[in-house]
Amino acid sequence: MSASWAKHVADVLRRNDIRTFATVPDYIVSHVLEDLWADAGCRVVTVTREEEGVGLLSGAWLAGRRGALLMQNSGLGNCVNALASLNVASQIPIVLVISHRGDLGEFNPAQVPMGQATGPILDALGIRWIRPGSIAELEAQGDGLVKLGYTRSLPVAIVLPAELTGGKQG
Amino acid sequence: MSAALTRAAATRLLAGRLSGEVVVANLGQASLDLQAIADRPLNCYTYGAMGQCSSIALGVALARPDLRVVALDGDGSLLMNLGSLCTVATEAPPNYALVVWDNEVHQTTGGQPTATAARSSLAAVARGAGIEKALEVRTEDELRRAYDRMLGEDGPFVVCVKVEKGRSEGRFTDRDVVGQARRFRQALAAR
Repeated sequence: MSASWAKHVADVLRRNDIRTFATVPDYIVSHVLEDLWADAGCRVVTVTREEEGVGLLSGAWLAGRRGALLMQNSGLGNCVNALASLNVASQIPIVLVISHRGDLGEFNPAQVPMGQATGPILDALGIRWIRPGSIAELEAQGDGLVKLGYTRSLPVAIVLPAELTGGKQG
Repeated sequence: MSAALTRAAATRLLAGRLSGEVVVANLGQASLDLQAIADRPLNCYTYGAMGQCSSIALGVALARPDLRVVALDGDGSLLMNLGSLCTVATEAPPNYALVVWDNEVHQTTGGQPTATAARSSLAAVARGAGIEKALEVRTEDELRRAYDRMLGEDGPFVVCVKVEKGRSEGRFTDRDVVGQARRFRQALAAR
């Protein structure tokens, strides 16, 4: 049984016709994955490194399917070049679902630098992102964000903060 | 012993056998040769994201199981994304074939040796990743037989083609990356 917030994230993706997913799991996005794995209409590919998911989902979009990449913000660092030189350059949309470690309530010092860099990295790539602090905010903004991504034909990101997910307790 | 293969000759040999297959070509030499020798809407040229050719092709293959997908990668690029071989093995799409032009150097950047110039075998890595149909070919006869298999049998295939060093004689005349991605997407949608 996934957490309530996680079901809302999964539903935002599915009701926007996203059925192909790639992931390197982390503790937080695994709650969303539970819903997607249980859905026979969804295909979830576990990749070895987040950048691979960017390539895979870009191929899927070129073949007519919308895709989302679920990962921790550390994984965003692993796929910056692919997002820039493939998705932004060639206007290939992808939805990034990023659990936000290294911010409010973080217990692990190693998570903090990428946690603080997450927003600036997305901004530097010109990727529009939201960071909903509650299920109500997610519901108010999620559909619009995904729609904007396909209107612009560019990546967008849903960053999942500890205020929404409960974070990870150290 | 027949003469060593060139990437252009191997590309030409493949192009002569293509009909409805999708081809995803790696940035640099693989795309230059393919565009010069056999440009077609079902070709996807990659210009950035070094290492991602095998993964982009996997995404196409999973989304379109009704089409055969051939990726044309390079040794330097595949070495950046060896994990994709494990993902291909796990997902095991029967319509997927990864051809690696292995000239044992980073050609585009001036010919610096890669790990395949020393001790590494990409076909052996692919087998270790779990792809049973992983071949290494060095002659035109072997290449013809490999093409017959990868275009006729269920995959996934990895065909590592040992080719001579050398830059493509092709030159990109069109770097409209947005337009080319759109052309490829529309060609796929029409099939």
